[in-house]
Amino acid sequence: MPHSTPEQLALAALGEPLPDADAAHLAGCAQCSAEVAALRRPVDLLAVPELAGTATEVTPPPQVWTAIAAATGVSAAPPSSGAEVVPLRPRRSRTRWLTLAAAVLVGGVVGGAAVALTRDDDTGGAVVATAALDPLPAEDASGRAEVRDADGTRSLQVDLDAPSLPDGYYEVWLLQPDAIRMVPVGVVHRGDTVLPLPDGLDLGAYPVVDVSVEPMDGDPTHSGVSVARGSLQR
Amino acid sequence: MTAVSRPRPAAVPYVREVVREVVPVPAREPSDAEVARRFCAGDEQALAEAYERWAGQVHGLAVRAFGPGPDAEDVTQQTFVAAWTGRAGYSAAAGPLPAWLVGICRHKIADTWAKMARQRRSAEAAAADVRSRPDPTDTARVDDAVADRVLLLGELDRIGQPQRRIIELAFFADLTHTQIAARTGIPLGTVKSHIRRTLERLRDRLEVDGAALHP
Ligand SMILES: [Zn+2]
Repeated sequence: MPHSTPEQLALAALGEPLPDADAAHLAGCAQCSAEVAALRRPVDLLAVPELAGTATEVTPPPQVWTAIAAATGVSAAPPSSGAEVVPLRPRRSRTRWLTLAAAVLVGGVVGGAAVALTRDDDTGGAVVATAALDPLPAEDASGRAEVRDADGTRSLQVDLDAPSLPDGYYEVWLLQPDAIRMVPVGVVHRGDTVLPLPDGLDLGAYPVVDVSVEPMDGDPTHSGVSVARGSLQR
Repeated sequence: MTAVSRPRPAAVPYVREVVREVVPVPAREPSDAEVARRFCAGDEQALAEAYERWAGQVHGLAVRAFGPGPDAEDVTQQTFVAAWTGRAGYSAAAGPLPAWLVGICRHKIADTWAKMARQRRSAEAAAADVRSRPDPTDTARVDDAVADRVLLLGELDRIGQPQRRIIELAFFADLTHTQIAARTGIPLGTVKSHIRRTLERLRDRLEVDGAALHP
C-alpha cells in the first residue's frame, strides 16, 4: 500500500481511528509514523483537559467583578442584581410586612473603586456616589445619601426627611441587592448625619442604602422595618 | 497556633426565611449578539452583561485549571479586563463573544502556568540544599511544555476562520472530524484538509520556535 494521505495522518495525530488499511500501513511505516508523531506534538500540548471548553460553570466570587470594574474604570454592575422584589421578614412578629423593592434600578450602580469623582467640596471629600432615598410603600421618609471620599477615607452623608419617632431611632444600612446581607452603618437623625464607612467595604457589593426604624430593644440587628431606600449611583 | 473563628463582619444573617417574589423582567433581555455588539462599541453596561452571562463559563475553566482560589480568580479577572481593553480585536464574524472570551481565558491560563514555572525556577535557584531540588531535566521538560503552549495559543490566534473553529472543536471539544462537519455544516473533505493544514502549521511553529529540544 502507498503511504497514507496527509489528511489521514493528521486524523491519526488527533487520535481518531483510521480505516484498517491505513492503520496496518502506519504500523509498519517509519515515515508515516514519524509524521504522525510530529503532528501529535501540538495535539498533546493543547488538547489537554485544563484547556477544554467543557468545564462546569462556576460563579466567580464578587471580588472578581470588583477588580474588573476597578481595572477597567467601568461603573456598571452586572444586571443580576436587578428586578427582584424581596420582602424583608421581620425578625419577630410584627403587625406588617414591608414589601421592599431592593431592586437595583436600571442604570449604573457604583462598583467599588471604579468610581468617577464627580465633585469636590470642603465638607469631607469628593462625592463618589449618591442615592436618592425614596419612601417605601406607606412610609413618608425620604432623603438623599452621598458617599464621600477624603483621601481614601469614605463616609456616608445622609440627609433624612422623616417624621420624628416617639420611641426608637433611624438606622442606615448598606444592603446587598438581595436584601439578605447588609452592613450597619450607624444611627441617623433627621436632617444631616455623616457616618464613617468601613475601610475596604465594597460598595459594588452593597449598593443599596436602607433606612430602618429600630426600637430601643437592644437588638443590634435590622428590625425588618425599612422606611426609605435608594441605590447608589455614580 | 490558635485559630480564632470570627463571624464574617459583612454578613448579618438576621433573616432566617426570605420569601422571594421574582417580578417578571419588563424588557426582553438583549440577545447575545446585541450584547456583543454593544461590548465592541464600548458600552460599559455590555461589559457587565457579558460578565453576568459568561463569567461562569470562563471561571469554570480557570477553576478547573487551578482549583478555586486566587489564581483562578486572577485568570477570570484578567480575561475580562483583556477582553474589554482589546475589544477592538473582536470580530463577530469570527464567532460568538463567549467563544472569544474562552479563547482569551486559555491564554491567561497558559500565561499563569508560565508565571508559575518561572516562580518555581526562582524558588529552586534560591533553595540552599541542592540535593532537594527536583530532577532538573524533569523541570525543564515541564517548563518547555508550558512555553510551547503559550507559543501555540498565540499561533492559534493568527489562524483565520473557519480553520480556527475547526481545530478548536477538535482540540477543546474533543469532536471527531465527522462531528465537526456535522456541527459546522462544512463538508467533510474540507474539514479534513483544514485539520491537516492547521496541524502542519502548528507543528512547523513548534519546530521553528518551540522551547522543547528536538530529537
Ligand atoms: Zn507510510
